[in-house]
Amino acid sequence: MAEQDILNVKDVSKTFQVKSGSVKAIDDVSFTADKGQVTTIVGPSGSGKTTLLYVIGSLEKPETGEIMVAGHDILSQSTDLVKYRRENVGFVFQFFNLIPTLTALENVMLPMDLAGVGAHEQKRRATEMLEKMGVGGRLLKARPNKMSGGENQRVAISRALANDPDVILADEPTGNLDTATGRNVIEILSALAHEAGKCVLMVTHDESILDVSDRAFHMTDGDLKEIPA
Amino acid sequence: MRAFHRGFRSFRRNYARNLIVVVLLFVCLTFSMSMLAVKLAADSQVDAIKTYTSPSSPGVGTYGEINVSSTYQMQQFQQERQKSAAQRQAEARSLTDTQEFANRVQDLVPEKMTDQFSQNGDIETYDKVLETNITMNDLTNTNLQQLFQLRQNRGNSQEGNSGGALGMNQNTFYFAGNTNGASASDFTTGAKKMVTGQMFTYQDYVNANPVVVIEKNFADQNNLQVGSTVEGVISGQSGSGSLMELKVIGIYETVQTQQSQNSSGGLSSFNPAGNEFYAPLSVVQKLNATPGYVQLGSYYFGSVDDTGTLKVAFKKDSAGTANKYQFATDYSDYQAIADPLLKAKNTSLIGLAGALGACALIILLAMIIIISGRTRELGVLKAIGSTDSQVIAQYAFEILCICLVAIILAMGATALIGQSLGNWILPKANTSTTSSQQAQSSGPAGIAGRFMSNNNLYKEGGRFTAAFNGQQQQKAAKLNVVYRGSLFLYGILILIGLSLFGMAIPLIWIIRLRPARVLSME
Repeated sequence: MAEQDILNVKDVSKTFQVKSGSVKAIDDVSFTADKGQVTTIVGPSGSGKTTLLYVIGSLEKPETGEIMVAGHDILSQSTDLVKYRRENVGFVFQFFNLIPTLTALENVMLPMDLAGVGAHEQKRRATEMLEKMGVGGRLLKARPNKMSGGENQRVAISRALANDPDVILADEPTGNLDTATGRNVIEILSALAHEAGKCVLMVTHDESILDVSDRAFHMTDGDLKEIPA
Repeated sequence: MRAFHRGFRSFRRNYARNLIVVVLLFVCLTFSMSMLAVKLAADSQVDAIKTYTSPSSPGVGTYGEINVSSTYQMQQFQQERQKSAAQRQAEARSLTDTQEFANRVQDLVPEKMTDQFSQNGDIETYDKVLETNITMNDLTNTNLQQLFQLRQNRGNSQEGNSGGALGMNQNTFYFAGNTNGASASDFTTGAKKMVTGQMFTYQDYVNANPVVVIEKNFADQNNLQVGSTVEGVISGQSGSGSLMELKVIGIYETVQTQQSQNSSGGLSSFNPAGNEFYAPLSVVQKLNATPGYVQLGSYYFGSVDDTGTLKVAFKKDSAGTANKYQFATDYSDYQAIADPLLKAKNTSLIGLAGALGACALIILLAMIIIISGRTRELGVLKAIGSTDSQVIAQYAFEILCICLVAIILAMGATALIGQSLGNWILPKANTSTTSSQQAQSSGPAGIAGRFMSNNNLYKEGGRFTAAFNGQQQQKAAKLNVVYRGSLFLYGILILIGLSLFGMAIPLIWIIRLRPARVLSME
């Protein structure tokens, strides 16, 4: 593993049991991702890219392989996965997955609250982050149903950044947005990698995103292949 | 605390859905709490009734007395009835002193027996009573005088001014003796009260002081006052040694008669209660020439629940007496009062169980609906780093808030409707009568009334105690559903129980939930 490789996936396989038998969602996948880079995995629906993202985010457990994220072996029994999800990775989802009863500010404060950050500090950091993302002012107190898709996704990105993680895992971040808004979100994620030094791993079926990616992979039926630059 | 804060925030933000749950819970909890209040009230009232607390608050069903059984008395009566008048006279002439004494005490109880029974650990108070007829020198019983004149006018001239078979004449007076005048039933029931002087004491009984308490009207008619003396004739004796001088130490008035006179415009000066004397038991025993014998032993015991034990103890004490004696209690009075309350308690318990079941069902269904509608939220919470316990605590507090609001409202509503519900549940006016009422309606009237009837217990007083018994019935017929501290504590227990039960579903759901599955759903 190179010094700067924050994410190292090696020989990971994941199989799901279905009625008709078993489906290999990830088939012996290995790759690395670096800090300050946007890594994109493209592929058709059902190719296993979201499963791979969830495996890296410790939401799914693979049968075989090794995954090292920011120095943590997340498949090791001794790793505190809740702490890992809270501090080392940030999720951005296609459907935003914001808590509908909370305001934009409260949604961003939530991960900090779970991590035990003081209330005043939570509010300061969340406000600052949301303002950077362009959802400050009156939108701070708006609930998700009162905001546009783009605004919701920017709140979701802010929430992913709340505890300053090393890795941002974005699952179809533009899938529910119009082209212009999607582009804006991609630019934000790109800036996070290139300016804030985060490791951004995006999975999408939208190949137009490849032009902002530093590295790209193509996934088909669980098999991952790097797309040459 | 953070989880609690998040739970409270979630409770506030999901107000519409939570309000529906709160309203449903409120209805069921109000019913539950009201039923609980009724149950507690019934319990408390039954406990208060069945427990001897103090002489002024002895309870009901806590009284018993040892006396000669009515069955035995009836047997004696049948035997005597079969004899002719000549036979009886012949028997009377041939009696030895011992036989005469045995005859005299055949309807009485040996003091030894009553004393022995009083040793029982459950006994709270003990008294001995002897009620009898005593002839007084130079004093006329106006009641009997009128009665005999009436009979004479109707043609029973052969009996003249005597009471015939009852052995009474117009100088005969009713004497009630016990160990302490203050505990004489007519005074404890309030049927009679002292107006001048004082009551005889336990010391008067122990020292056999020849003192007596007389009635106010009687005292006025005979120019008697505290300090005056009257002469009683000792039964079965003659000559100078047959007289006993009794000092009047107190004067009482009969409250019930007083009231009757007032309500009827003071028409009559007829006062049957005026011919009753109260004296220490030892003095009455001397006058009646029956030392060591009493009419009854009167006891108050700790609780109605002791009745069974005491009956067994009495059976042991009275073994070998061929059921001559009985231990009569006021258990039927207790039943008449407590039964409606116990029925109300049982009904309320069924209602309580049903309503709590409904509450549990509501909270369970509500939580299933709430949790299934917030599965994605649960997945997100887990994905962004919530531990299971953090999520559980948040939901637990939300449920606690729902239950807390519902129970606070329910407690308020219970205070308003608890009494009405209690009145509704309490069985309608009971038609059964207490033993005292039975005795009053069927017992023989007149001077010998009480001691010829075994239905009337000594504690219920003499012939003028209707007001007392009425009060007791009235008191018992009403269920007083009062708001008590224990209801609040039970409310908290119900709150905790419901919240824990409501948490069962979220707990399983949260632990089993796989966020990856939930987050993949569109």
